[in-house]
Amino acid sequence: MTGTPAPATGIQVQDLSVRYGARVALQGVSMDIEPRRITALIGPSGCGKSTFLRCINRMNDTIPGASAEGSVRIDGADVYAPGTDVVKLRMKVGMVFQRPNPFPQSIFDNVAFGPRVLGTHRGGSLARVVEHSLRAADLWEEVKDSLRQDALSLSLGQQQRLCIARAVAVAPEVILMDEPCSALDPIATLRVEELMRGLTEKYTIIIVTHNMQQAARVSDRTGFFWLNEDKAGILAEYGATEQIFTSPRDRRTEDYITGRFG
Amino acid sequence: MPREKFEHDLHRLQDEVLELGAMAERAITESVQVLKERDVARARAIMEADKHINEKRYAIENETLTLIATQQPMAGDLRTLAAILEIASELERMADYAKGIANIAVMIAAEPLVKPLVDVPRMAAKACDMLHRSLEAFIRQDVEAARAIPKEDTEVDRLYEQIYRELVTYIMADPRAIEQANKLTWVAHNLERVADRVGNICERIVFSITGHGEELDTPPALPAN
Repeated sequence: MTGTPAPATGIQVQDLSVRYGARVALQGVSMDIEPRRITALIGPSGCGKSTFLRCINRMNDTIPGASAEGSVRIDGADVYAPGTDVVKLRMKVGMVFQRPNPFPQSIFDNVAFGPRVLGTHRGGSLARVVEHSLRAADLWEEVKDSLRQDALSLSLGQQQRLCIARAVAVAPEVILMDEPCSALDPIATLRVEELMRGLTEKYTIIIVTHNMQQAARVSDRTGFFWLNEDKAGILAEYGATEQIFTSPRDRRTEDYITGRFG
Repeated sequence: MPREKFEHDLHRLQDEVLELGAMAERAITESVQVLKERDVARARAIMEADKHINEKRYAIENETLTLIATQQPMAGDLRTLAAILEIASELERMADYAKGIANIAVMIAAEPLVKPLVDVPRMAAKACDMLHRSLEAFIRQDVEAARAIPKEDTEVDRLYEQIYRELVTYIMADPRAIEQANKLTWVAHNLERVADRVGNICERIVFSITGHGEELDTPPALPAN
């Protein structure tokens, strides 16, 4: 069956609640994340945005005392269903963090790590996967002649693009980004934003950002997180980015994005 | 208060718009006065003063663009600033109409008026009143007032029809009146356009408050026969 396009991976979150021990970090969040689009999550610190993000690839499991209720369906399958292969999930749903975290290895080995572990590529095809991933991350031209160089010798902006290449190398469907540009200077930030647009050709992207202008620049849809009366994180408003930033429906959204609250 | 500087700048900008509105109103009222009083010197002064109105319009534009560039306004703030840009432009055009009326005052100063000016000052007063209240509605963020004001345009249109019809009868009675009558029709037309532009301003105000564009059409004037 040649020429069949890969199914576009949308994510349906239904009534998701997360506790850390007794504390309710997230309460009843429901959201439909559109495939091959950029969805931004904004809101003050502590409103559950990163918690939400970490549910999509069950990174929250690694936090002691964390528990989740509700469902997160990717391609129709609930990632919280018993028997879910979490390792496979985390390859399908890659993550890029706030501080770039390349392995203390060569640039090549960083990107090749995932495919090597998976055993999916060897030799020539491995080199091709590495090149393809570095191109997708807009880093190939800068490092193609120094692939054996230590990854930590790259600038922060380059390191972050290397982390993106690393995520891309295992053929994910979703890429989660938790404030991917906060450690980067404005020019490096704009380069990452540019490359995000290109990534949507193949991947669904969710980005948590404190930078509202960034959310407004790059995303197609924006979710605004807030705290309810019980100090649990909730989704206050979710909609098309242009609508959120020009005519938000919820007063709390308007107050937040115009900087009027507090 | 969060964003104190921005709030302060926004209020100052709104004051500037009110000031520009007052300048436009004065120009319209005085241009009709000098037409009536055949005062050439004052008419020329009004035309000369139009450049101050243009300068003020550009000052408001620059300040608005600066706020947009430096304060990253969103949502209601962004719509308000966009409305200010449009309103300043409309006010400047209204002042241009006043300048046109003053120019006509100079052109016909030497001749006796073919008819006493009664309805023209009425049109001017009505249009200026609508303008004044529309700007108040902007400052007060009063969406109902902004929706209601354009409906009053019917009255202005009716006065225009009246003036036009009267002038036609004067032309028919004495064809030599045709030049002046044409110019007086033009004066009435300018005032009718002022009222139309108040309608545009009201549409902008409604948009800036609600985030939705609404056509505030005036009900069509009743046909003449």
